[in-house]
Amino acid sequence: MTTRLLAQKIVVAALGLALFVSAGISFHRSRNLAEPVVLGPGVTSVKKLGEYFAAIRGTVNDCNLYFMEGREPGGTMLVLGGSHAEEPAGRLAAWLFVENGTVEKGRVIVALSANRSASTMTRLGGAYPPDFTIDTPSGPRMFRMGDRWTNPLDQWPDPEVFIHYPSGQELAYVDIRNLNRTWPGRPNGTFTEKTAFAFMEMIRREKVDVAIDLHEAELQYPVISTIVTHQRGQELATMVSMMLTDNEDFKIGTEFSPLTLHGLSHREIGDHSPAISLLFEAPEPFLDATRGITSREQLLTGKDEFVVKAGRHGLLFEEIDEKGWPIAVRVGRHTSSILQVAETWSEDNPAKPLAISGVPRYAEVIEKGVGAFLQDVTKAGKDRLAYE
Amino acid sequence: MFLSVRLPVLACLGAVLVLGAAAPAQAQKAETPVLVTSCGQSPGPIKLTVYMKRLQIAHDLKTDATAKDLGAKPYKTLIVVTGSSLKGMGAAGVSIDDEVKRVGALIDEARKKGITIVGAHVEGMERRAKSAAPGDNSDEISIDAVCPKSNFLIVRKDGDEDGRFTTLSKKHNIPVVFFQKNTEIQDVLKNVFGS
Ligand SMILES: [Zn+2]
Repeated sequence: MTTRLLAQKIVVAALGLALFVSAGISFHRSRNLAEPVVLGPGVTSVKKLGEYFAAIRGTVNDCNLYFMEGREPGGTMLVLGGSHAEEPAGRLAAWLFVENGTVEKGRVIVALSANRSASTMTRLGGAYPPDFTIDTPSGPRMFRMGDRWTNPLDQWPDPEVFIHYPSGQELAYVDIRNLNRTWPGRPNGTFTEKTAFAFMEMIRREKVDVAIDLHEAELQYPVISTIVTHQRGQELATMVSMMLTDNEDFKIGTEFSPLTLHGLSHREIGDHSPAISLLFEAPEPFLDATRGITSREQLLTGKDEFVVKAGRHGLLFEEIDEKGWPIAVRVGRHTSSILQVAETWSEDNPAKPLAISGVPRYAEVIEKGVGAFLQDVTKAGKDRLAYE
Repeated sequence: MFLSVRLPVLACLGAVLVLGAAAPAQAQKAETPVLVTSCGQSPGPIKLTVYMKRLQIAHDLKTDATAKDLGAKPYKTLIVVTGSSLKGMGAAGVSIDDEVKRVGALIDEARKKGITIVGAHVEGMERRAKSAAPGDNSDEISIDAVCPKSNFLIVRKDGDEDGRFTTLSKKHNIPVVFFQKNTEIQDVLKNVFGS
Protein backbone atom coordinates (compact mmCIF):
# COMPACT_ATOMS: atom_id res chain seq x y z
CA MET A 1 0.00 0.00 0.00
CA THR A 2 2.67 2.50 1.01
CA THR A 3 4.84 1.49 -1.95
CA ARG A 4 1.84 2.11 -4.21
CA LEU A 5 1.26 5.54 -2.67
CA LEU A 6 4.93 6.32 -2.99
CA ALA A 7 4.88 5.23 -6.64
CA GLN A 8 1.87 7.49 -7.25
CA LYS A 9 3.65 10.38 -5.59
CA ILE A 10 6.76 9.79 -7.66
CA VAL A 11 4.72 9.71 -10.89
CA VAL A 12 2.92 12.96 -10.01
CA ALA A 13 6.18 14.60 -8.97
CA ALA A 14 7.82 13.43 -12.21
CA LEU A 15 4.95 14.83 -14.26
CA GLY A 16 5.19 18.11 -12.37
CA LEU A 17 8.92 18.20 -12.94
CA ALA A 18 8.45 17.49 -16.65
CA LEU A 19 5.99 20.41 -16.90
CA PHE A 20 8.31 22.61 -14.87
CA VAL A 21 11.32 21.80 -17.05
CA SER A 22 9.53 22.13 -20.38
CA ALA A 23 7.85 25.40 -19.33
CA GLY A 24 11.15 26.60 -17.92
CA ILE A 25 12.93 25.87 -21.20
CA SER A 26 10.19 27.71 -23.09
CA PHE A 27 10.37 30.72 -20.75
CA HIS A 28 14.15 30.74 -20.90
CA ARG A 29 14.19 30.52 -24.71
CA SER A 30 11.63 33.27 -25.05
CA ARG A 31 13.48 35.54 -22.62
CA ASN A 32 16.79 35.01 -24.42
CA LEU A 33 15.69 34.85 -28.04
CA ALA A 34 17.92 37.34 -29.84
CA GLU A 35 16.24 39.26 -32.62
CA PRO A 36 18.70 40.46 -35.26
CA VAL A 37 18.46 44.01 -36.60
CA VAL A 38 20.20 44.85 -39.86
CA LEU A 39 21.33 48.46 -39.61
CA GLY A 40 19.98 50.16 -42.70
CA PRO A 41 21.70 52.89 -44.70
CA GLY A 42 20.29 55.61 -42.46
CA VAL A 43 21.53 54.36 -39.09
CA THR A 44 24.48 56.50 -38.06
CA SER A 45 24.93 55.17 -34.52
CA VAL A 46 23.42 52.81 -31.97
CA LYS A 47 23.26 54.10 -28.41
CA LYS A 48 21.88 52.63 -25.21
CA LEU A 49 19.04 53.99 -23.08
CA GLY A 50 21.29 53.60 -20.03
CA GLU A 51 23.52 56.39 -21.38
CA TYR A 52 20.79 58.80 -20.27
CA PHE A 53 20.15 57.36 -16.82
CA ALA A 54 22.72 55.21 -15.03
CA ALA A 55 20.20 53.09 -13.09
CA ILE A 56 19.04 51.52 -16.36
CA ARG A 57 22.57 50.73 -17.57
CA GLY A 58 23.18 47.00 -17.96
CA THR A 59 19.59 46.05 -17.03
CA VAL A 60 17.14 44.18 -19.24
CA ASN A 61 15.62 47.56 -20.20
CA ASP A 62 18.90 49.05 -21.39
CA CYS A 63 17.49 48.96 -24.91
CA ASN A 64 19.12 50.02 -28.16
CA LEU A 65 18.43 53.48 -29.54
CA TYR A 66 18.99 53.71 -33.29
CA PHE A 67 20.11 57.18 -34.34
CA MET A 68 19.46 58.18 -37.94
CA GLU A 69 21.23 61.46 -38.47
CA GLY A 70 20.36 63.43 -41.59
CA ARG A 71 22.91 64.97 -43.93
CA GLU A 72 21.23 68.31 -43.33
CA PRO A 73 20.08 69.62 -39.94
CA GLY A 74 16.43 69.81 -38.97
CA GLY A 75 13.96 68.60 -36.38
CA THR A 76 14.25 65.48 -34.19
CA MET A 77 11.63 62.76 -34.19
CA LEU A 78 11.47 59.86 -31.74
CA VAL A 79 9.69 56.63 -32.71
CA LEU A 80 8.90 54.23 -29.86
CA GLY A 81 8.17 50.62 -30.77
CA GLY A 82 7.48 48.04 -28.08
CA SER A 83 6.05 50.24 -25.32
CA HIS A 84 3.57 47.40 -25.23
CA ALA A 85 5.49 44.40 -26.51
CA GLU A 86 2.30 42.41 -27.18
CA GLU A 87 1.50 44.83 -30.01
CA PRO A 88 3.88 43.53 -32.70
CA ALA A 89 2.90 45.94 -35.50
CA GLY A 90 4.30 48.79 -33.42
CA ARG A 91 7.66 47.06 -33.13
CA LEU A 92 7.73 45.91 -36.78
CA ALA A 93 6.88 49.36 -38.16
CA ALA A 94 9.80 50.81 -36.20
CA TRP A 95 11.96 47.93 -37.49
CA LEU A 96 11.21 48.94 -41.10
CA PHE A 97 12.52 52.43 -40.37
CA VAL A 98 15.79 51.10 -38.95
CA GLU A 99 16.41 48.55 -41.72
CA ASN A 100 15.28 50.68 -44.70
CA GLY A 101 15.18 54.37 -43.88
CA THR A 102 17.50 57.17 -44.86
CA VAL A 103 17.17 60.57 -43.27
CA GLU A 104 18.01 63.51 -45.52
CA LYS A 105 17.05 66.30 -43.17
CA GLY A 106 16.75 66.27 -39.41
CA ARG A 107 17.15 63.26 -37.19
CA VAL A 108 15.14 60.18 -36.27
CA ILE A 109 15.71 58.16 -33.09
CA VAL A 110 14.09 54.73 -32.94
CA ALA A 111 13.53 52.26 -30.09
CA LEU A 112 12.32 48.78 -31.06
CA SER A 113 11.87 47.48 -27.50
CA ALA A 114 10.96 50.47 -25.36
CA ASN A 115 9.99 48.14 -22.51
CA ARG A 116 12.43 45.34 -23.31
CA SER A 117 11.52 43.43 -20.15
CA ALA A 118 7.91 43.20 -21.33
CA SER A 119 9.10 41.63 -24.56
CA THR A 120 10.63 38.67 -22.71
CA MET A 121 7.37 36.91 -21.81
CA THR A 122 3.74 36.74 -22.85
CA ARG A 123 0.64 37.52 -20.82
CA LEU A 124 0.48 35.02 -17.96
CA GLY A 125 -2.38 32.60 -18.49
CA GLY A 126 -3.14 34.14 -21.89
CA ALA A 127 -1.88 31.17 -23.92
CA TYR A 128 -0.11 33.51 -26.33
CA PRO A 129 2.64 31.99 -28.50
CA PRO A 130 6.11 32.99 -27.25
CA ASP A 131 7.27 34.04 -30.70
CA PHE A 132 6.25 34.51 -34.31
CA THR A 133 8.01 34.34 -37.65
CA ILE A 134 7.96 36.67 -40.63
CA ASP A 135 9.01 35.15 -43.94
CA THR A 136 11.50 37.23 -45.86
CA PRO A 137 13.18 36.68 -49.25
CA SER A 138 16.32 35.63 -47.34
CA GLY A 139 14.53 33.23 -44.99
CA PRO A 140 12.40 33.35 -41.85
CA ARG A 141 12.97 35.96 -39.12
CA MET A 142 11.78 35.13 -35.63
CA PHE A 143 10.49 37.75 -33.17
CA ARG A 144 9.52 37.59 -29.52
CA MET A 145 5.84 37.98 -28.77
CA GLY A 146 5.77 40.05 -25.63
CA ASP A 147 3.44 41.31 -22.95
CA ARG A 148 1.77 44.57 -22.00
CA TRP A 149 3.57 44.64 -18.65
CA THR A 150 7.13 44.51 -17.40
CA ASN A 151 8.16 40.91 -16.66
CA PRO A 152 7.50 40.18 -12.94
CA LEU A 153 11.00 38.67 -12.84
CA ASP A 154 12.22 42.24 -13.22
CA GLN A 155 9.69 44.03 -11.03
CA TRP A 156 7.78 42.32 -8.25
CA PRO A 157 5.53 42.32 -6.24
CA ASP A 158 2.68 44.61 -7.35
CA PRO A 159 1.10 46.85 -4.69
CA GLU A 160 -2.59 46.88 -3.76
CA VAL A 161 -2.97 50.25 -5.43
CA PHE A 162 -0.77 52.08 -7.91
CA ILE A 163 -0.47 55.80 -7.22
CA HIS A 164 0.84 57.49 -10.33
CA TYR A 165 3.75 59.86 -9.90
CA PRO A 166 3.63 62.87 -9.92
CA SER A 167 -0.15 63.31 -10.41
CA GLY A 168 -1.19 61.16 -7.43
CA GLN A 169 -3.87 59.59 -9.62
CA GLU A 170 -4.95 56.09 -8.60
CA LEU A 171 -4.51 53.57 -11.42
CA ALA A 172 -5.02 49.80 -11.73
CA TYR A 173 -2.47 48.01 -9.54
CA VAL A 174 -1.05 45.91 -12.36
CA ASP A 175 -0.30 49.06 -14.38
CA ILE A 176 2.58 49.81 -12.06
CA ARG A 177 4.41 47.56 -14.57
CA ASN A 178 2.86 49.24 -17.64
CA LEU A 179 5.32 51.61 -19.33
CA ASN A 180 2.41 53.52 -20.82
CA ARG A 181 0.99 54.29 -17.38
CA THR A 182 4.21 55.26 -15.65
CA TRP A 183 5.31 58.28 -17.71
CA PRO A 184 7.10 60.55 -16.87
CA GLY A 185 8.66 58.20 -14.30
CA ARG A 186 11.10 59.11 -11.55
CA PRO A 187 14.73 58.33 -10.77
CA ASN A 188 14.03 56.57 -7.47
CA GLY A 189 10.85 54.77 -8.52
CA THR A 190 10.05 51.25 -9.69
CA PHE A 191 11.95 49.63 -12.53
CA THR A 192 9.25 50.66 -15.03
CA GLU A 193 9.20 54.23 -13.67
CA LYS A 194 12.99 54.36 -14.02
CA THR A 195 12.66 53.21 -17.63
CA ALA A 196 10.15 55.98 -18.36
CA PHE A 197 12.43 58.46 -16.59
CA ALA A 198 15.40 57.35 -18.74
CA PHE A 199 13.36 57.99 -21.88
CA MET A 200 12.29 61.42 -20.57
CA GLU A 201 15.94 62.28 -19.92
CA MET A 202 16.82 61.20 -23.46
CA ILE A 203 13.90 63.19 -24.94
CA ARG A 204 14.97 66.32 -23.06
CA ARG A 205 18.69 65.93 -23.74
CA GLU A 206 18.35 65.09 -27.43
CA LYS A 207 15.82 67.93 -27.84
CA VAL A 208 13.14 65.73 -29.40
CA ASP A 209 10.51 67.78 -31.25
CA VAL A 210 7.97 65.05 -31.94
CA ALA A 211 7.63 61.78 -30.00
CA ILE A 212 5.54 59.01 -31.56
CA ASP A 213 4.48 55.99 -29.49
CA LEU A 214 3.31 53.03 -31.61
CA HIS A 215 0.51 50.79 -30.33
CA GLU A 216 -2.19 48.32 -31.33
CA ALA A 217 -5.60 47.91 -29.71
CA GLU A 218 -8.28 45.26 -29.46
CA LEU A 219 -11.37 46.04 -31.51
CA GLN A 220 -13.46 46.20 -28.36
CA TYR A 221 -11.43 49.18 -27.16
CA PRO A 222 -12.88 52.59 -28.10
CA VAL A 223 -9.50 54.21 -28.73
CA ILE A 224 -8.61 52.53 -32.03
CA SER A 225 -7.52 53.47 -35.57
CA THR A 226 -6.61 56.87 -34.29
CA ILE A 227 -3.91 59.33 -33.36
CA VAL A 228 -4.09 60.40 -29.73
CA THR A 229 -2.43 63.76 -29.32
CA HIS A 230 -1.21 66.10 -26.64
CA GLN A 231 -2.88 69.53 -26.93
CA ARG A 232 0.24 71.00 -28.51
CA GLY A 233 -0.07 68.43 -31.31
CA GLN A 234 -3.77 68.91 -32.10
CA GLU A 235 -3.23 70.74 -35.37
CA LEU A 236 -0.41 68.44 -36.48
CA ALA A 237 -2.43 65.29 -35.72
CA THR A 238 -5.58 66.65 -37.34
CA MET A 239 -3.73 67.57 -40.52
CA VAL A 240 -2.00 64.15 -40.59
CA SER A 241 -5.30 62.34 -40.09
CA MET A 242 -6.94 64.36 -42.89
CA MET A 243 -4.08 63.78 -45.33
CA LEU A 244 -3.94 60.03 -44.64
CA THR A 245 -7.70 59.62 -44.94
CA ASP A 246 -7.69 61.60 -48.21
CA ASN A 247 -4.68 60.00 -49.85
CA GLU A 248 -4.00 56.52 -48.52
CA ASP A 249 -7.14 54.46 -48.55
CA PHE A 250 -7.37 53.97 -44.80
CA LYS A 251 -9.21 55.88 -42.13
CA ILE A 252 -7.48 57.25 -39.08
CA GLY A 253 -9.09 59.68 -36.66
CA THR A 254 -7.81 61.96 -33.93
CA GLU A 255 -8.43 61.93 -30.21
CA PHE A 256 -7.28 64.64 -27.85
CA SER A 257 -5.39 63.41 -24.82
CA PRO A 258 -7.55 64.12 -21.75
CA LEU A 259 -5.82 66.64 -19.47
CA THR A 260 -6.62 64.66 -16.37
CA LEU A 261 -5.70 61.13 -17.49
CA HIS A 262 -2.16 60.48 -16.32
CA GLY A 263 0.75 58.18 -17.00
CA LEU A 264 0.26 57.92 -20.76
CA SER A 265 2.91 59.02 -23.24
CA HIS A 266 0.54 61.36 -25.13
CA ARG A 267 -0.05 63.28 -21.91
CA GLU A 268 3.20 63.14 -19.95
CA ILE A 269 5.90 63.42 -22.66
CA GLY A 270 4.20 66.62 -23.81
CA ASP A 271 3.76 67.90 -20.25
CA HIS A 272 7.31 67.15 -19.12
CA SER A 273 9.34 68.07 -22.20
CA PRO A 274 9.12 70.50 -25.11
CA ALA A 275 8.25 67.57 -27.45
CA ILE A 276 4.85 67.16 -29.05
CA SER A 277 3.62 63.68 -28.09
CA LEU A 278 1.47 61.49 -30.33
CA LEU A 279 0.29 57.90 -29.93
CA PHE A 280 -0.97 55.76 -32.84
CA GLU A 281 -3.41 52.87 -32.40
CA ALA A 282 -3.84 50.17 -35.09
CA PRO A 283 -6.42 47.36 -34.83
CA GLU A 284 -5.18 44.01 -33.43
CA PRO A 285 -7.88 41.29 -33.12
CA PHE A 286 -5.24 39.11 -31.42
CA LEU A 287 -5.86 41.11 -28.24
CA ASP A 288 -9.65 40.83 -28.25
CA ALA A 289 -11.12 38.95 -25.31
CA THR A 290 -13.59 37.19 -27.61
CA ARG A 291 -10.87 35.83 -29.92
CA GLY A 292 -10.78 32.14 -30.86
CA ILE A 293 -7.53 30.22 -31.08
CA THR A 294 -4.60 32.35 -29.96
CA SER A 295 -2.21 31.10 -32.63
CA ARG A 296 0.77 32.51 -34.48
CA GLU A 297 -1.43 32.50 -37.56
CA GLN A 298 -4.06 34.69 -35.89
CA LEU A 299 -1.31 37.08 -34.77
CA LEU A 300 -0.21 37.55 -38.39
CA THR A 301 -3.53 37.37 -40.29
CA GLY A 302 -5.78 39.09 -37.77
CA LYS A 303 -8.52 36.71 -38.93
CA ASP A 304 -10.95 35.55 -36.26
CA GLU A 305 -14.51 34.38 -36.72
CA PHE A 306 -15.38 35.01 -33.07
CA VAL A 307 -14.28 38.63 -33.24
CA VAL A 308 -16.28 38.96 -36.48
CA LYS A 309 -19.27 37.61 -34.56
CA ALA A 310 -18.73 40.17 -31.79
CA GLY A 311 -18.83 42.79 -34.53
CA ARG A 312 -22.21 41.54 -35.74
CA HIS A 313 -23.49 42.09 -32.21
CA GLY A 314 -22.29 45.70 -32.29
CA LEU A 315 -19.60 45.17 -29.66
CA LEU A 316 -16.67 46.57 -31.63
CA PHE A 317 -15.31 50.04 -32.31
CA GLU A 318 -13.66 49.03 -35.60
CA GLU A 319 -14.90 46.96 -38.51
CA ILE A 320 -13.70 43.42 -39.19
CA ASP A 321 -14.68 40.83 -41.79
CA GLU A 322 -13.32 37.49 -42.97
CA LYS A 323 -10.27 39.28 -44.42
CA GLY A 324 -9.15 40.10 -40.89
CA TRP A 325 -6.48 42.67 -40.03
CA PRO A 326 -3.23 41.27 -41.54
CA ILE A 327 0.05 42.37 -40.03
CA ALA A 328 1.04 44.20 -43.25
CA VAL A 329 -2.07 46.40 -43.01
CA ARG A 330 -1.33 47.22 -39.37
CA VAL A 331 2.37 47.90 -40.00
CA GLY A 332 1.59 49.94 -43.14
CA ARG A 333 -0.82 52.16 -41.22
CA HIS A 334 1.99 52.97 -38.80
CA THR A 335 4.73 53.60 -41.40
CA SER A 336 2.47 55.91 -43.43
CA SER A 337 1.34 57.75 -40.33
CA ILE A 338 4.93 58.36 -39.17
CA LEU A 339 6.00 59.53 -42.63
CA GLN A 340 2.98 61.83 -42.84
CA VAL A 341 3.82 63.35 -39.46
CA ALA A 342 7.33 64.10 -40.78
CA GLU A 343 5.91 65.72 -43.92
CA THR A 344 3.25 67.80 -42.20
CA TRP A 345 5.68 68.78 -39.44
CA SER A 346 8.13 70.01 -42.09
CA GLU A 347 5.47 72.12 -43.83
CA ASP A 348 4.62 73.80 -40.55
CA ASN A 349 8.23 74.07 -39.29
CA PRO A 350 10.37 74.87 -42.34
CA ALA A 351 13.32 75.77 -40.09
CA LYS A 352 13.30 72.27 -38.57
CA PRO A 353 12.52 69.91 -41.45
CA LEU A 354 12.32 66.12 -41.30
CA ALA A 355 12.93 64.33 -44.61
CA ILE A 356 12.91 60.54 -44.60
CA SER A 357 13.16 58.22 -47.59
CA GLY A 358 13.33 54.48 -48.25
CA VAL A 359 10.57 53.49 -45.83
CA PRO A 360 7.55 51.85 -47.51
CA ARG A 361 4.12 53.39 -47.06
CA TYR A 362 0.81 51.61 -46.45
CA ALA A 363 0.08 50.43 -50.02
CA GLU A 364 3.62 49.18 -50.57
CA VAL A 365 3.78 47.22 -47.30
CA ILE A 366 0.47 45.53 -48.18
CA GLU A 367 1.56 44.81 -51.75
CA LYS A 368 4.96 43.32 -50.91
CA GLY A 369 4.48 42.17 -47.32
CA VAL A 370 6.43 43.11 -44.19
CA GLY A 371 9.11 40.47 -44.91
CA ALA A 372 10.12 42.18 -48.14
CA PHE A 373 11.51 45.03 -46.05
CA LEU A 374 13.51 42.93 -43.59
CA GLN A 375 17.07 42.74 -44.90
CA ASP A 376 19.31 39.68 -45.26
CA VAL A 377 20.97 39.05 -41.90
CA THR A 378 23.69 36.82 -43.43
CA LYS A 379 24.80 39.56 -45.82
CA ALA A 380 25.05 42.28 -43.20
CA GLY A 381 28.56 42.99 -41.98
CA LYS A 382 29.19 42.39 -38.27
CA ASP A 383 29.34 46.13 -37.64
CA ARG A 384 25.95 46.53 -39.34
CA LEU A 385 24.13 44.05 -37.11
CA ALA A 386 22.51 44.68 -33.76
CA TYR A 387 20.36 42.47 -31.54
CA GLU A 388 17.19 43.18 -29.60
CA MET B 1 -18.57 74.62 -92.17
CA PHE B 2 -17.65 71.87 -89.86
CA LEU B 3 -15.65 74.17 -87.61
CA SER B 4 -18.23 76.96 -87.56
CA VAL B 5 -20.86 74.60 -86.22
CA ARG B 6 -18.57 72.97 -83.73
CA LEU B 7 -17.05 76.05 -82.12
CA PRO B 8 -20.25 77.70 -80.83
CA VAL B 9 -21.44 74.35 -79.51
CA LEU B 10 -18.20 73.84 -77.69
CA ALA B 11 -18.30 77.40 -76.38
CA CYS B 12 -21.83 76.92 -75.03
CA LEU B 13 -20.87 73.61 -73.48
CA GLY B 14 -17.87 75.23 -71.88
CA ALA B 15 -19.92 78.06 -70.45
CA VAL B 16 -22.45 75.64 -69.01
CA LEU B 17 -19.68 73.62 -67.41
CA VAL B 18 -17.96 76.63 -65.89
CA LEU B 19 -21.15 78.24 -64.58
CA GLY B 20 -22.47 74.91 -63.37
CA ALA B 21 -19.30 74.20 -61.44
CA ALA B 22 -18.81 77.66 -60.02
CA ALA B 23 -22.37 78.58 -59.09
CA PRO B 24 -22.97 76.46 -55.96
CA ALA B 25 -19.59 77.21 -54.42
CA GLN B 26 -19.95 80.95 -54.96
CA ALA B 27 -23.44 81.24 -53.53
CA GLN B 28 -22.71 80.91 -49.81
CA LYS B 29 -20.77 83.82 -48.39
CA ALA B 30 -19.71 84.88 -44.94
CA GLU B 31 -17.45 87.52 -43.42
CA THR B 32 -14.69 87.66 -40.84
CA PRO B 33 -13.92 87.63 -37.97
CA VAL B 34 -15.26 84.17 -37.23
CA LEU B 35 -16.01 82.47 -33.94
CA VAL B 36 -15.67 78.69 -34.23
CA THR B 37 -17.23 76.42 -31.62
CA SER B 38 -18.42 72.86 -31.18
CA CYS B 39 -21.72 71.30 -30.23
CA GLY B 40 -20.65 68.00 -28.67
CA GLN B 41 -16.91 68.55 -28.06
CA SER B 42 -15.73 66.43 -31.01
CA PRO B 43 -12.25 67.01 -32.49
CA GLY B 44 -13.96 68.36 -35.67
CA PRO B 45 -13.46 72.14 -35.20
CA ILE B 46 -9.68 71.79 -35.55
CA LYS B 47 -10.22 70.44 -39.08
CA LEU B 48 -11.57 73.86 -40.03
CA THR B 49 -9.22 75.99 -37.97
CA VAL B 50 -5.99 74.39 -39.28
CA TYR B 51 -7.02 75.55 -42.74
CA MET B 52 -8.34 78.92 -41.51
CA LYS B 53 -4.93 79.51 -39.95
CA ARG B 54 -3.13 78.63 -43.21
CA LEU B 55 -5.50 80.84 -45.22
CA GLN B 56 -5.21 83.65 -42.65
CA ILE B 57 -8.95 83.86 -42.10
CA ALA B 58 -9.40 85.85 -38.87
CA HIS B 59 -10.97 83.50 -36.34
CA ASP B 60 -11.09 82.38 -32.73
CA LEU B 61 -11.65 78.80 -31.64
CA LYS B 62 -13.57 78.47 -28.41
CA THR B 63 -15.05 75.01 -27.96
CA ASP B 64 -17.12 76.18 -24.98
CA ALA B 65 -18.14 79.57 -26.37
CA THR B 66 -21.19 81.21 -24.78
CA ALA B 67 -23.43 84.11 -25.81
CA LYS B 68 -21.11 86.37 -23.81
CA ASP B 69 -18.15 85.56 -26.09
CA LEU B 70 -19.94 87.13 -29.04
CA GLY B 71 -19.46 90.49 -27.35
CA ALA B 72 -15.67 90.15 -27.20
CA LYS B 73 -15.19 91.05 -30.88
CA PRO B 74 -17.38 92.27 -33.72
CA TYR B 75 -17.83 88.73 -35.02
CA LYS B 76 -19.58 88.47 -38.39
CA THR B 77 -19.81 84.68 -38.54
CA LEU B 78 -20.39 81.84 -36.08
CA ILE B 79 -19.42 78.32 -37.17
CA VAL B 80 -20.77 75.49 -35.02
CA VAL B 81 -19.22 72.10 -35.71
CA THR B 82 -21.69 69.30 -34.96
CA GLY B 83 -21.07 65.70 -33.96
CA SER B 84 -20.27 64.65 -30.43
CA SER B 85 -17.51 62.86 -28.59
CA LEU B 86 -18.37 61.21 -25.28
CA LYS B 87 -14.70 61.42 -24.40
CA GLY B 88 -14.53 65.11 -25.31
CA MET B 89 -17.66 65.90 -23.33
CA GLY B 90 -16.38 63.81 -20.44
CA ALA B 91 -13.10 65.72 -20.40
CA ALA B 92 -14.97 69.04 -20.52
CA GLY B 93 -17.36 67.84 -17.81
CA VAL B 94 -20.50 68.48 -19.88
CA SER B 95 -23.38 66.39 -21.24
CA ILE B 96 -25.05 66.66 -24.63
CA ASP B 97 -27.96 68.43 -22.91
CA ASP B 98 -25.53 71.06 -21.58
CA GLU B 99 -24.09 71.44 -25.06
CA VAL B 100 -27.50 71.89 -26.69
CA LYS B 101 -28.45 74.50 -24.08
CA ARG B 102 -25.17 76.43 -24.46
CA VAL B 103 -25.21 76.40 -28.26
CA GLY B 104 -28.93 77.22 -28.38
CA ALA B 105 -28.35 80.42 -26.39
CA LEU B 106 -25.26 81.20 -28.47
CA ILE B 107 -27.18 80.87 -31.75
CA ASP B 108 -30.08 83.00 -30.42
CA GLU B 109 -27.66 85.76 -29.46
CA ALA B 110 -25.88 85.52 -32.84
CA ARG B 111 -29.21 85.89 -34.63
CA LYS B 112 -30.03 88.99 -32.59
CA LYS B 113 -26.70 90.48 -33.62
CA GLY B 114 -27.18 89.61 -37.28
CA ILE B 115 -24.24 87.22 -37.30
CA THR B 116 -24.15 84.60 -40.07
CA ILE B 117 -24.57 81.11 -38.60
CA VAL B 118 -22.85 78.20 -40.31
CA GLY B 119 -23.53 74.62 -39.23
CA ALA B 120 -20.77 72.16 -40.07
CA HIS B 121 -20.31 68.39 -40.04
CA VAL B 122 -16.83 67.42 -41.13
CA GLU B 123 -16.08 63.90 -39.91
CA GLY B 124 -18.31 61.70 -42.06
CA MET B 125 -20.19 58.68 -40.76
CA GLU B 126 -17.63 58.26 -37.97
CA ARG B 127 -19.42 61.13 -36.25
CA ARG B 128 -22.94 59.92 -37.02
CA ALA B 129 -24.35 58.11 -34.00
CA LYS B 130 -22.33 54.94 -34.27
CA SER B 131 -18.97 55.61 -32.79
CA ALA B 132 -19.48 56.66 -29.22
CA ALA B 133 -21.38 53.88 -27.46
CA PRO B 134 -24.26 51.50 -28.18
CA GLY B 135 -27.55 53.37 -28.16
CA ASP B 136 -25.89 56.78 -28.00
CA ASN B 137 -27.43 59.30 -30.40
CA SER B 138 -25.73 62.47 -29.20
CA ASP B 139 -24.31 63.03 -32.72
CA GLU B 140 -27.83 63.34 -34.08
CA ILE B 141 -29.00 65.50 -31.17
CA SER B 142 -26.12 67.85 -31.90
CA ILE B 143 -26.99 68.01 -35.63
CA ASP B 144 -30.65 68.77 -34.85
CA ALA B 145 -29.70 71.48 -32.37
CA VAL B 146 -27.62 73.39 -34.90
CA CYS B 147 -28.40 72.68 -38.55
CA PRO B 148 -32.06 73.82 -38.78
CA LYS B 149 -31.05 77.20 -37.27
CA SER B 150 -28.12 77.79 -39.63
CA ASN B 151 -27.91 80.13 -42.60
CA PHE B 152 -26.08 77.43 -44.50
CA LEU B 153 -24.24 74.17 -43.89
CA ILE B 154 -20.76 72.84 -44.67
CA VAL B 155 -20.79 69.04 -44.78
CA ARG B 156 -18.36 66.32 -45.82
CA LYS B 157 -20.30 64.33 -48.36
CA ASP B 158 -19.71 60.90 -46.81
CA GLY B 159 -21.52 62.06 -43.67
CA ASP B 160 -24.65 62.37 -45.84
CA GLU B 161 -24.60 58.69 -46.79
CA ASP B 162 -28.18 58.31 -45.57
CA GLY B 163 -29.31 61.68 -46.97
CA ARG B 164 -29.62 63.21 -43.50
CA PHE B 165 -28.27 66.63 -44.50
CA THR B 166 -29.96 66.67 -47.90
CA THR B 167 -33.30 66.08 -46.16
CA LEU B 168 -32.58 68.76 -43.56
CA SER B 169 -31.62 71.16 -46.30
CA LYS B 170 -34.83 70.60 -48.28
CA LYS B 171 -37.11 70.66 -45.25
CA HIS B 172 -35.73 73.90 -43.82
CA ASN B 173 -34.66 75.42 -47.12
CA ILE B 174 -31.02 75.75 -45.99
CA PRO B 175 -28.28 75.48 -48.61
CA VAL B 176 -25.50 72.93 -48.10
CA VAL B 177 -21.93 73.22 -49.36
CA PHE B 178 -20.70 69.66 -49.74
CA PHE B 179 -17.07 68.64 -50.04
CA GLN B 180 -15.61 65.20 -50.69
CA LYS B 181 -12.04 65.20 -49.48
CA ASN B 182 -10.63 66.87 -46.39
CA THR B 183 -8.19 68.91 -48.44
CA GLU B 184 -11.19 70.50 -50.22
CA ILE B 185 -12.05 72.26 -46.93
CA GLN B 186 -9.45 74.77 -48.07
CA ASP B 187 -11.40 75.59 -51.24
CA VAL B 188 -14.71 75.72 -49.40
CA LEU B 189 -13.29 78.24 -46.93
CA LYS B 190 -11.69 80.28 -49.72
CA ASN B 191 -15.04 80.47 -51.51
CA VAL B 192 -17.05 81.29 -48.40
CA PHE B 193 -14.70 83.93 -47.02
CA GLY B 194 -13.18 85.17 -50.29
CA SER B 195 -14.34 88.43 -51.82
ZN1 LIG C 1 -0.62 49.58 -26.38
